[in-house]
Amino acid sequence: MLSMDAFSLYIMFCVLAPLLGAFTLLFLFIFEKRIDLLEKQTREIALQRELQTALYNQLNQEIQPHFLFNTLNSILSLARLERKTELIRSIEALSRLLKFKYQTNSPFITINDELTYIKYYLEIQKIRFRDRLHYEIAMDPSVGQAVIIPFLIQTFVENAFKHSFEKYAGEAFLKIIVEKKEKYVHVTVWNSSSEKHEDQPHKGGLGLENIAKRLELLFSPEHTSIQLTSLNDKTNVLAVFPYVNKNENQGDKRL
Amino acid sequence: MNRKDYQFYISGAVKLGVSFGVVSLLARWITGNTILSAPETLVKYGITGAIGYSLMGALALVLFGFLAKKIRNNFHNEQTIGDVMRQKLTPSGYWYIMFILLVTSFYSLFIQAMGAGILIHIIFPIPVFIGMILFMGFCFFVGGVSGMQRIHQFSGVNVALIFGAVLLIPVYFYIQAGVHPVYDGIKLYHPYILYFKNMDAIWFIFTALLIFFGQIMMDRATWQRVFIIQKEKVTMTFSLAGGIWATIPLALSSLLMIIMFGRSYKNIYSLLFELVDKIQSTMLIILFVLFCFSAISSAINAELHATTTLFVKNVLELFRPLTNHERWKYSYIFSGIVCVCLLVIVSILTPNPLKLLFFFGNIYASIIIPMLYIILSSKPIPVVIPYSSLIGAAGGFLLIPFTNDLKAIWISFAISGVICLFVYILKKAPIKS
Repeated sequence: MLSMDAFSLYIMFCVLAPLLGAFTLLFLFIFEKRIDLLEKQTREIALQRELQTALYNQLNQEIQPHFLFNTLNSILSLARLERKTELIRSIEALSRLLKFKYQTNSPFITINDELTYIKYYLEIQKIRFRDRLHYEIAMDPSVGQAVIIPFLIQTFVENAFKHSFEKYAGEAFLKIIVEKKEKYVHVTVWNSSSEKHEDQPHKGGLGLENIAKRLELLFSPEHTSIQLTSLNDKTNVLAVFPYVNKNENQGDKRL
Repeated sequence: MNRKDYQFYISGAVKLGVSFGVVSLLARWITGNTILSAPETLVKYGITGAIGYSLMGALALVLFGFLAKKIRNNFHNEQTIGDVMRQKLTPSGYWYIMFILLVTSFYSLFIQAMGAGILIHIIFPIPVFIGMILFMGFCFFVGGVSGMQRIHQFSGVNVALIFGAVLLIPVYFYIQAGVHPVYDGIKLYHPYILYFKNMDAIWFIFTALLIFFGQIMMDRATWQRVFIIQKEKVTMTFSLAGGIWATIPLALSSLLMIIMFGRSYKNIYSLLFELVDKIQSTMLIILFVLFCFSAISSAINAELHATTTLFVKNVLELFRPLTNHERWKYSYIFSGIVCVCLLVIVSILTPNPLKLLFFFGNIYASIIIPMLYIILSSKPIPVVIPYSSLIGAAGGFLLIPFTNDLKAIWISFAISGVICLFVYILKKAPIKS
């Protein structure tokens, strides 16, 4: 049987327990928004830092002097040949490409924006590679406004040029597929590569690592993945992340 | 979100954070049942039972929190338990689960309304019918007509009143009377409460966990809240709601000691309401009455809203597509009919509390494993899974004459569990060609 002392303790506990509950609720009401804000700021800082790294990598890897010189030489050839329409288009594409590259500082953009940027890039590469380059972009119209991290597709495409098309002569095929599968967006970049290439498939490297990290920061880690597969004469990169419509999720701290 | 859109009625305009999520869950789970079954627990199973009851309720909410996270991750655009069941089950399984959901909904609403009837009968010198008209009118306005947004607005007030009462009244009494006389009075009139070496209580505690978990798992209103709490905060919200909820039955048990010491009682279920006779201060009487009505009305509001949504979205809409206007219209009509039915039943029947603690326990216990199978399995659900709960519940009910209530509940749980396990093993076994 419960003694008087134990009973007193029990009653004390019963009386004080709701006080603890009420204080917990009060604490939540007062501090939840502040805790959320701190978390959001920490995540934003991390995203900004990763974006800076991405931009740095982009600048290091992509605006390489030889890309710029080759492009300028191709533009010069167009001027010499007096192919005015192509000349204007290529200067315009280069200008837009550089503008987009230097102005993008948001942690996420829409797939439409990313693909517009890719098209400028491919237009310039088309001047360089001429009939060697064949590319195709297939996008599910429903994912146009879906959110993506900047330079995701761009990094994949540039890797294709850097590790395959620029190294080996011959036809260069590139295919970009963006589709929605259930609740996820699947971005596939497929490119042809030389058969000699098979013994040294290119590694993911800093670019893919950076993309994986940024995807995890923007979405939850269990919902994102990046797979790189190199077979005999083709390389395939697949990025999967949740479908989030930009217009519907303006306020969310984590998408 | 457009306020005239039916989505606004179902889930309100905003996603809930931890604080509002906890308040919403507390408003749902501090119910007439909590008030009415607290005395039965204390009298039957003593202090061990009272502590165990609160701990198991809390544990059930915490466990469901983990499951809720899984539900949120697996189902993105759903809003009700019916949406999920429709996606996962075959038509016959779906209709069976809907039937169970509607039956348990109506019974739960009936218990709450009966609680309100008893309260009006004991406290107010007016006919129960008139009191119930006012009470059900209020519930119809908040739970049936206004939708989730208004329920959340009232939840805050309800929870504030509940905490106000459970904090102030025991402190007032124990300061005034002291613990010693209460202990002596209990020892003299109800010494069995003070015995803590009680094997029955241990059985009771684990069975309570089973029933609580089954109840939460089948609760329409809780599922709705799973989908309107921010995704990354679901587990945290349920865990905190469990922890905070546990303090309420504990406080109620201390209140019951005040009523019971030094006297006997006539009716175990209305015991808590008799506190009104003991309270001298008018302010505390008002606070206590508001506490009882808050607990009951918040549960009815949540339950009425969830049942209405379930009926319109997951029953009516399957027969023919409804326009936005029709959805609103049928929601008003359905909730109105439910309120009128409750009013009539409670007015006709003499306010007399029913056996609460283990009623439907067999159904809740037998549904646990099939529901876990439905939620966690990524493959198509075999037809037998939902029906295993029916077999389990029927088995348990049939065995009640040969065993006691608690064992029958465990038998129900075991039967459905074994069936599900058997199906799982059969599905896993490689098919010989």
